Amino acid sequence: MNQRAGLSRLKAIGRFVGWYGVLIALGIVFAIPFLWMFSVSLHDLAGVFADPFRWVPEELRWSNYVDAVSLLPFGRYLTNTVVITVCVLIGTVLSSSLVAYGFSRLRFRGRDKLFALCIATMMLPGQVTMIPLYIGFSKLGWVDTFLPLIVPAFFGSPFYIFLLRQFFLTIPREYDEAARLDGAGKLRIYWSIILPLSRPALATVALFAFLGTWNDFFNPLIYLNSPENATLTLGLNMMKSQVMGTGVTQWHLLMAASLLVMIPNIVLFFVAQKHFMKGIQVGGLKG
Amino acid sequence: MTNRAAALLAFCLIGAGCGGKTNDGAGEIVYNSSANAVEIQALQSELPEFARESGVSVKLNPFSGQEKLYAMIAAGQAPDIFYTNAAVRDRLAAEGHLLDLRDVSSGDPFLDRLWPQVVEDGRSVDGGLYSMGNWSFTAGVYYNKDLFDVAGVSYPDTTWTWNDMVGAAEALTKDADRDGKPEQYGLFIPSHFIEVFEQMNRTPIRKNALYVSIPDESAEVYRKYLDLMDKGIMPDLLTVQAMGMQAVQMLAGGKVAMLVEAVPNQGLIEALQIRWGVAPIPRFGQKPPSYFRSGSGGLSISARTADPESAWKALKWIIAGASIYQPNPVLRDADFVGGWEERYPQLKDSGFRDVWNLSLEHNGGDLRSFVRYSSWTSARILSLLQPEFDQLWAGRITVDQLRSQIPSINEQVERELRNDVTRRHWKPEFRDAVEAQLARLPQ
Repeated sequence: MNQRAGLSRLKAIGRFVGWYGVLIALGIVFAIPFLWMFSVSLHDLAGVFADPFRWVPEELRWSNYVDAVSLLPFGRYLTNTVVITVCVLIGTVLSSSLVAYGFSRLRFRGRDKLFALCIATMMLPGQVTMIPLYIGFSKLGWVDTFLPLIVPAFFGSPFYIFLLRQFFLTIPREYDEAARLDGAGKLRIYWSIILPLSRPALATVALFAFLGTWNDFFNPLIYLNSPENATLTLGLNMMKSQVMGTGVTQWHLLMAASLLVMIPNIVLFFVAQKHFMKGIQVGGLKG
Repeated sequence: MTNRAAALLAFCLIGAGCGGKTNDGAGEIVYNSSANAVEIQALQSELPEFARESGVSVKLNPFSGQEKLYAMIAAGQAPDIFYTNAAVRDRLAAEGHLLDLRDVSSGDPFLDRLWPQVVEDGRSVDGGLYSMGNWSFTAGVYYNKDLFDVAGVSYPDTTWTWNDMVGAAEALTKDADRDGKPEQYGLFIPSHFIEVFEQMNRTPIRKNALYVSIPDESAEVYRKYLDLMDKGIMPDLLTVQAMGMQAVQMLAGGKVAMLVEAVPNQGLIEALQIRWGVAPIPRFGQKPPSYFRSGSGGLSISARTADPESAWKALKWIIAGASIYQPNPVLRDADFVGGWEERYPQLKDSGFRDVWNLSLEHNGGDLRSFVRYSSWTSARILSLLQPEFDQLWAGRITVDQLRSQIPSINEQVERELRNDVTRRHWKPEFRDAVEAQLARLPQ
């Protein structure tokens, strides 16, 4: 009996070690690029090119971080990025949740067809709509302002609408009926019942929207012209581009700046991780 | 709820308002500089003085890549001054998007300050002048002097040949454990520099050709290039890609002893912390040399600019006045070599002066693939040809097999060009010129 228990205990330990071994190995694989970035950010340029590469440089050049942020108007770009991201975050969460509420709670003719149409817009590649959108925004006089980057967020995003609709469908309708008996209207139910119960899904949408906007390079590239309006991603690109087509990117400074730009992403992910996982699972994206 | 929503909306609108203004200010010239932090800073610090002196206010719109440029052109909001290369310039000119610079430059003594090639390279098939070269460079072989000294190989001189280079590369290749993977290679020639050697081998290349041809001289160079990899004195291109190494990285780290690169190459000069020199591209036997000199692109002015005269003034200042671009090699009166030696003292005694002067003395122009083929067909040719070259450099096909693909590539290119001529909204003089070229083709 004792032998059997010991054997099964050994098996359990073996499984534990096996799984964690695989997970740790995968974790290392995924962490290597990040560790390389960090290591490069502390080298000088020659060290970046050294063969073999030294993971821990002889001299740790923390001054690279200062040099990187002084090469660009980093504060200005940070402010621009924060303004755009916060506005997009608010717009995305408000508009997508409102539309998802309509698709999940209200009954009207053609609702499901409209929903399918909304989802179908995800199939349109950005390259197809780029020039018409640019022409439209330029006719409105919005090019080189933040408006083309912010205003579309207030008209819902099909992916987030889908995610939130799936979550809203899991909330029992009895809550709505009870609220209705207390005299609540449709908007009151949305605001006071559905939204508070949907925090994990809203956190997921907010996190996706944050990451998408904070890291967005293409849209700011297209719509912003003046250097003073640039975002952090455009700023990083300015460190990469070369004068007269020749040159070597200052990789050590670029990696230092990139790490600084990544910090909010990493912090936010760890802070919102619990809500994020729950939102993904309940929101219908679970495999 | 209403108050909160209103507050959020107000916040968003305030945020959105921080985004500055549109750049359609009257009397302002918008210049699409490259998106480089150093370049932007340098230009911005000098623009106020230029505005005071010339009365022309220049606003920077720094970005790289053509997607945005095309979107801006489509919206009628192209920057007043922007960079075009030969592959796109003629098409934009044919579609009426570029100003013919003859309208603003006629009789301007500034043209006399430029090397004649710079002006000629800006002309299109209708005789119009649509861009003004703003920079030029040649190519050379950078080498690690310490590795040459250790191997007892003498440094290259100005008359060295391909065979001399191969001999040096063999002596410089080190494979101590004889596993076929040398710790140190003698040489690396990035594949996009192959044209420089075709040029030196006197390949009869006709500029602006509608179709691909691979003359015997080119084929000979391709075979020699493949030989370098077969002999193991040059890392094969797949290995370099797999190692994720940049060419400069290999020279700086001692992985290769010689590297073919642009001359001058500012970033390379700044990155190299070894004792190095630079030699001209080696000759092919007794053939007279023909050195590469870039001349494929330049600054164009939008046809929709509100003030062509001011745009021209700004363009001239960018080429000849803005300090970040000085001394500019497109100017005949600029002491380019002296200026660069002053900026980078390591260039003195490096061989840079000889390389530069030889390229002026035996100027073979720019015969890179996107210049070699006409603007009307180059994009299509390169998209069809590049996969074949990838196969060739990977050793999956032979040079003869590559050459056997050429007729089918040309047939496809001709078919598409004939369609283009009838469908595209080109100005008549451009359509006539291309149709005339098509009519002269053997049926």
